[in-house]
Amino acid sequence: MATAAVNPIHEAGISVEGELGAVAERLRRSTVRVLGDDGCGSGVIWRPDGVIVTNAHVARSGIQRVELADGREFSGKVIVRDAKRDLAAIRIEGHGFPSITVRDARTLRAGEMVIAVGNPMGEVGAASVGIVHSAPQNRSLVVADIRLFPGNSGGPLADVEGRVVGINTLVAAGLGCAIPSNAVARFLRGLGIVAR
Amino acid sequence: MASALVEFSNSLADAVEQAGRSVVAVLEGGRAGVSGTVWREGVVVTAEHTIRGAEEVTLVLPSGLTAKAKFLGGDPSTDVAVLKVEGQLQAPEFANAAEVMTGHVVLALGRRGEEGVSASFGMVGATGGAWRTWQGGKIDQYLRLDLNPYPGFSGGPLIDAGGKVLGINTSGPRRSITTIPNATVNRVVDAVLSKGRVTRGFLGVGVQPVAFPAATKTSLGLERNRGLLVITVSEGGPAEKAGVMLGDIIVAVDGAGVAHASDLQSALDPERVGQGVQLRVLRGGKLQDVNLTVGERSGRE
Repeated sequence: MATAAVNPIHEAGISVEGELGAVAERLRRSTVRVLGDDGCGSGVIWRPDGVIVTNAHVARSGIQRVELADGREFSGKVIVRDAKRDLAAIRIEGHGFPSITVRDARTLRAGEMVIAVGNPMGEVGAASVGIVHSAPQNRSLVVADIRLFPGNSGGPLADVEGRVVGINTLVAAGLGCAIPSNAVARFLRGLGIVAR
Repeated sequence: MASALVEFSNSLADAVEQAGRSVVAVLEGGRAGVSGTVWREGVVVTAEHTIRGAEEVTLVLPSGLTAKAKFLGGDPSTDVAVLKVEGQLQAPEFANAAEVMTGHVVLALGRRGEEGVSASFGMVGATGGAWRTWQGGKIDQYLRLDLNPYPGFSGGPLIDAGGKVLGINTSGPRRSITTIPNATVNRVVDAVLSKGRVTRGFLGVGVQPVAFPAATKTSLGLERNRGLLVITVSEGGPAEKAGVMLGDIIVAVDGAGVAHASDLQSALDPERVGQGVQLRVLRGGKLQDVNLTVGERSGRE
């Protein structure tokens, strides 16, 4: 090619910002709004057969209204709610839902970039970017230097390839804290639900 | 196809891992521990204000082992403390300060107890030349960061995206970060290792700014609108020895007009100790020059 002086990365049609946008868009499709009496939180389509994971503090009642990114609305049944772990699983009827892929949070390294998608402050499908603050190893939370707001609760925290590493749950000392994906998997296994 | 985003993310994690080998936890610092940075063989630096008064502190090393470190000396005016520790510790790679530009990606590292290294992400918001802290310490480069300070970050390094150290971080005003650049840290480390302390100049005067009437300024041909009224003179101090009297108004130091007490700071830098300084004072309506020798301040004042 004659114009070889151009940034090779841009030439190949990939760029950091372009990829970030693509990853955020993919995550958005798997992120739902969980609507309750007191505002809304987020949830993650964990499996294509309609298993949605969110925080227990987001899914407070037995039946939750769930809104997908494509606008479809469902009445979701809360199949389990564990206030201590702050996790809940909701089932919606149907199949072929745009579910996420999972990465074991224990493999995260401090400094790695992470992306959160959620519905903070009425915003739908808002993305924020940060880094892993400290390697989770076997700790109970993934701690990230990322801006989260209340509506992010129950939404995904993912790596730069869009693989979900945690469920955004709380903010402590300005740091975003997520329940690690491996803890979510353990929680679901307890219900007899296994990841795809 | 290589992913630019994955590569960038991995390079940040690599930078944290590499530089993290030189970051220690200081258990006694602050309320819940702070961080420290290996600077040279056997030498760890941290933020002076976090361990003030401690003769010995406990470190958690990158290996996870704990070690005792001895306080060798420090400089409250630049907030750098120098600790001596036994054992094999890896000094980091250092960045060239001149290459730091607004917009560069930077990471602030810390270590908390046994939790391992922690990192926060941000960028250089502005850069500038040398400045002085309110205690008079000379900081060789100004770095304004867009980066959130988290508990325990003080004393840890600021690194670039390549894992090279730019300086050590300490708390700044309004929940901001002040970065003490490498050149300043090196100056303090050199002074502490060679002399056991950072010397600070001493003139032996207390001053207060006073405004000159316009007519006075004109008739005397003064450079500034204000001067520094001498309100205390230390007994036996350099100023008294040179004949400075209560009520003198200092209008210039080494030929440069002065209007704020901080204008005297340049005469108090460590390298000025033992050197001469010329004060131009207004006494009895007349200007006169007084030559004195800068003394050394004693103690941790």
